[in-house]
Amino acid sequence: MVDFSLWDIFRNLLLALRWTVALSLIAFVGGGFMGLLLLLARLSQSKVLQIFVKAYVQVFQGTPLLMQLFLAYFGMALIGIETSAWLAASVALTLYTSAFLAEIWRGCVEAIPKGQWEASQSLALSFSEQLRYVILPQAFKIAIPPTVGFLVQVIKGTALASVIGFVELTKAGTMITNATFKPFLVYSCVAILYFALCFPVSYFAKHLERKVKRGHA
Amino acid sequence: MRIELDFISVLAEWPMLVKGVAWTIGLTSISTVVGLALGIALAWSRVHGKLALRAFAGSYVETIRNTPFIVQLFFVYFGLPALGLRLSPEMASVIAMVINLSAYATEIIRAGIEATPKGQIEAGMSLALQPHQIFTHVVLPPALKKVWPALVSQIIIVMLGSSVCGQISTEELSHAANLIQSRNFRAFESFIIATLTYLTLAMALRRLLNWAGPRYLFGR
Amino acid sequence: MDTHEPLLAIQGLRKSFGDNEVLKGIDLQVKAGEVIAIIGKSGSGKSTLLRCINGLEIFQAGSLTVDHQALLHHDANAMRALRQKVGMIFQSFNLFPHLKVGENIMLAPGLVKQHGKSMARAQAEKLLERVGLGEKFDAWPDQLSGGQQQRVAIARALAMEPQILLCDEITSALDPELVGEVLRVVETLAEDGMTLLMVTHEMNFARKVADRIIFMHQGRVHESGSPDVIFENPQTSELVQFLSALT
Repeated sequence: MVDFSLWDIFRNLLLALRWTVALSLIAFVGGGFMGLLLLLARLSQSKVLQIFVKAYVQVFQGTPLLMQLFLAYFGMALIGIETSAWLAASVALTLYTSAFLAEIWRGCVEAIPKGQWEASQSLALSFSEQLRYVILPQAFKIAIPPTVGFLVQVIKGTALASVIGFVELTKAGTMITNATFKPFLVYSCVAILYFALCFPVSYFAKHLERKVKRGHA
Repeated sequence: MRIELDFISVLAEWPMLVKGVAWTIGLTSISTVVGLALGIALAWSRVHGKLALRAFAGSYVETIRNTPFIVQLFFVYFGLPALGLRLSPEMASVIAMVINLSAYATEIIRAGIEATPKGQIEAGMSLALQPHQIFTHVVLPPALKKVWPALVSQIIIVMLGSSVCGQISTEELSHAANLIQSRNFRAFESFIIATLTYLTLAMALRRLLNWAGPRYLFGR
Repeated sequence: MDTHEPLLAIQGLRKSFGDNEVLKGIDLQVKAGEVIAIIGKSGSGKSTLLRCINGLEIFQAGSLTVDHQALLHHDANAMRALRQKVGMIFQSFNLFPHLKVGENIMLAPGLVKQHGKSMARAQAEKLLERVGLGEKFDAWPDQLSGGQQQRVAIARALAMEPQILLCDEITSALDPELVGEVLRVVETLAEDGMTLLMVTHEMNFARKVADRIIFMHQGRVHESGSPDVIFENPQTSELVQFLSALT
């Protein structure tokens, strides 16, 4: 059995970390775009669209991410798409992110005082003009902290992609543990690396939240 | 292209699914009770404790909140035996879920405690109540009531997260679904049924907690 | 009971908030059964003085003795004993919202004096009768009017059987038509021999019920005397100015 040094372990984990970051960004950006579309559908006058988005959000928030990953993986295979773990994870995490971001952003829009709607309505602005020029700009400002905060959830979510075989940080950790028989050391390193990714983002989100609060005081 | 879906062969294995659901409910129940108790204790220490205790609680919370649950689970189940602590999958699952829930619950409950109007505490002091009596009888019940929706959401997140425990062979619902599909090769159908079951459990759990909270924890 | 020794004795009390000295040397003696009304402009230190007496504020210099016991801020047991002798009613009532009216009253006697449930309940029912709210035992605080809530607060404080009751502007947050019901209760307390220190703006009430009026100005006891002297014969220009601003 080859003896692995701490640096060997760390080096391999760092290589896998790239894929964690890549998957997180794909899900966050893709989910962001989709989330925006979902938000607009939710805010639209169409009852059908509203119900659809409500149900969509309820499903993604009320079911385990692990199940969503499995369903993406096996579901896509079922309809004939050639699935890799990478593709399935991207699809599942993007949909997951879109649901949560749409809901977070909806909360921010609803936090805008009713008076803003009434004032812009009284100025004869159309619904989409009200949204575009009055409501969304204000909602955007207060949406930044929780959106940045959700990025942490996405990064943590990528760890589950290991279960469907995607070689990101957690999967690398499992593989290296099997090779080195040093689970305590390896999983400690894995945890430290996730912490190094997530903590700055969490801290930044808190900082943004304080800034927004101060701006309103 | 014809997709043939066969749910019957999955539903035929309903005893396994029921067993899985029972395990999921069991894990969640124990973790919720212990996790909330621990969360209350940690929240208290973050507000009232000495500096060393506050620092410890703060580090604990930040560590758990910035690492994935699956890594925490693997650390408890695979990593701790290296220190001589061998755990069963169920034990490891409960411990990991308790640690996870308590870290999030601490922050949520702390927000509730810190929102207590000063006048309430002064009234308690004026009535000669001791600090621990003021915390238990005057501060905590309204605080829990205020943050209950956030706590309920967090408990549901932990319940859904228990699906990961199947990876260390805990016989909960996702493990049951996996076992079924390994036998009848109906992976998609198995996981659809498991997913719908989780959705139902989540909705039922929310109802249950919204009924139990006012009844047992904070008055009305 | 020694009627010559004061129940409450304050000597040279000084209190600062940071650099701002709010109480600049207070001397005050209160006998058992005395009703004292403390009047003065806002910022004169009236509420701060009251809050020093039951230890909600810590003072920097001077001494404060209740029933021959000196106030020791750092001794938790001594503070607990003090607060059983000195009760307080707040401007904003501060009833516990998660407990019913009866439970509000029963809480402290149960925890501090270790009264059994039936004993505490009987006492609570009697006190509610005394403040005129006998039928509200099972009501929630937010179902009551401000005047009713304040009367419950009085009953809650009385449940601890204090020797002194501190009333910190207890009618200032009430709608005018609700003030009377609270003042009537306070009047009966005075008639029953309770030692009262009230910070109040209700001059007519003070005139009618108080044994002594204390006028505070810029952190000091500026004038002190019977209601007749204070209201009919003010000695200092500050008191004259204060009284004329009221009419």
